[in-house]
Amino acid sequence: MKIKKDKLILSIVIGLSCFVLAVVMSMQFKVVQQTDITSIETMRETELRTELSNWKNKYNELSEEYNQLVEKRKEYQEKSQDDTEASELLKSELENIDMLIGKTDVIGNGIIVTIDNSENADTDIIADDLLLIVNSLKDAGAEAISINEKRIVNMTDIVEIGNNSFIQVNGERILAPYSIKAIGEETYLKSALLGNGGQLDELKKLGFYTDIQQNDKVEIKKYEKDMFTKYIE
Amino acid sequence: MIFIAIIIGCVAGVILGINAPTISYTYSSFLAIGILAALDSVFGGISSILNKNFDLKIFISGFFCNAILSMLLTYLGQKLNVDIYLAAIFVFVSRMFLNLTIIRKYYIEKWSENIKKRKENKQQNTQTN
Repeated sequence: MKIKKDKLILSIVIGLSCFVLAVVMSMQFKVVQQTDITSIETMRETELRTELSNWKNKYNELSEEYNQLVEKRKEYQEKSQDDTEASELLKSELENIDMLIGKTDVIGNGIIVTIDNSENADTDIIADDLLLIVNSLKDAGAEAISINEKRIVNMTDIVEIGNNSFIQVNGERILAPYSIKAIGEETYLKSALLGNGGQLDELKKLGFYTDIQQNDKVEIKKYEKDMFTKYIE
Repeated sequence: MIFIAIIIGCVAGVILGINAPTISYTYSSFLAIGILAALDSVFGGISSILNKNFDLKIFISGFFCNAILSMLLTYLGQKLNVDIYLAAIFVFVSRMFLNLTIIRKYYIEKWSENIKKRKENKQQNTQTN
């Protein structure tokens, strides 16, 4: 009986130790099998160190490259800024010139002169009258002038066609009443036309209908035809 | 009876171990050292049984104390930045080989003795005949 008890204790103890050993071993197997060795959490310290130094080197290289690229970008930006400045300057200049030569509609402070034929007068208004008015306005510093929406540009003609039959401006016939718009300093413009020797007063004396109005927003249309040069070199 | 206990313990242990939650990989080195210590104790126990000087107390205390002590040493080595676990592995594995040699020699001697006995028996039989 005593031997059996001893054997029972022995077998229980050995079974228990086998149990512990098996538990630990199978757990370890499972851990080793499931663990991804390449992932950072499972790496040993030395491996982590080399990895870290690798990454640091890479980081340094990349940051250097990044800095170079940033500098390059800065250069390009400055260059393009210069370019845009130049092009903007050119654009504004071009706009200004377009306005001056009559390629765009313009609005500004100015006057509107209206003259019309009248029964009181002996004759009709002739092209010379309009020409004189336009000249006076130019003399008074007008920046843009139009007659019946025909813009006065550098090559504008104001001529009598036939024997005082009709007036032609910019190659097109215009009819009374004549509405002359001019943008500029209005007091100068007015004084150029009115007063002693003013062309408008002369016309008034001859019996034509004349009218002169100031306006903050005189609208002058652009020159409608194409502008081209053939012989200018 | 002992074999039954061993088989039951192993099977139950494997089942429990597979179903147990996985521990972190950082602690697996401790577990591995513990396993080595326990295996060393097992082979030591077997060889002592064969030498007929097996003591249950020594076996059990060696089984658990070696495992725990080797784990502690590994931990200490990590703290001291010395790979003490390498020394532990060396000691355990060399002792395991030693014990395995003892076991192997024992069975080979037994086997050769058996063969000798048979031969003698045969000779005796022929002589008597």
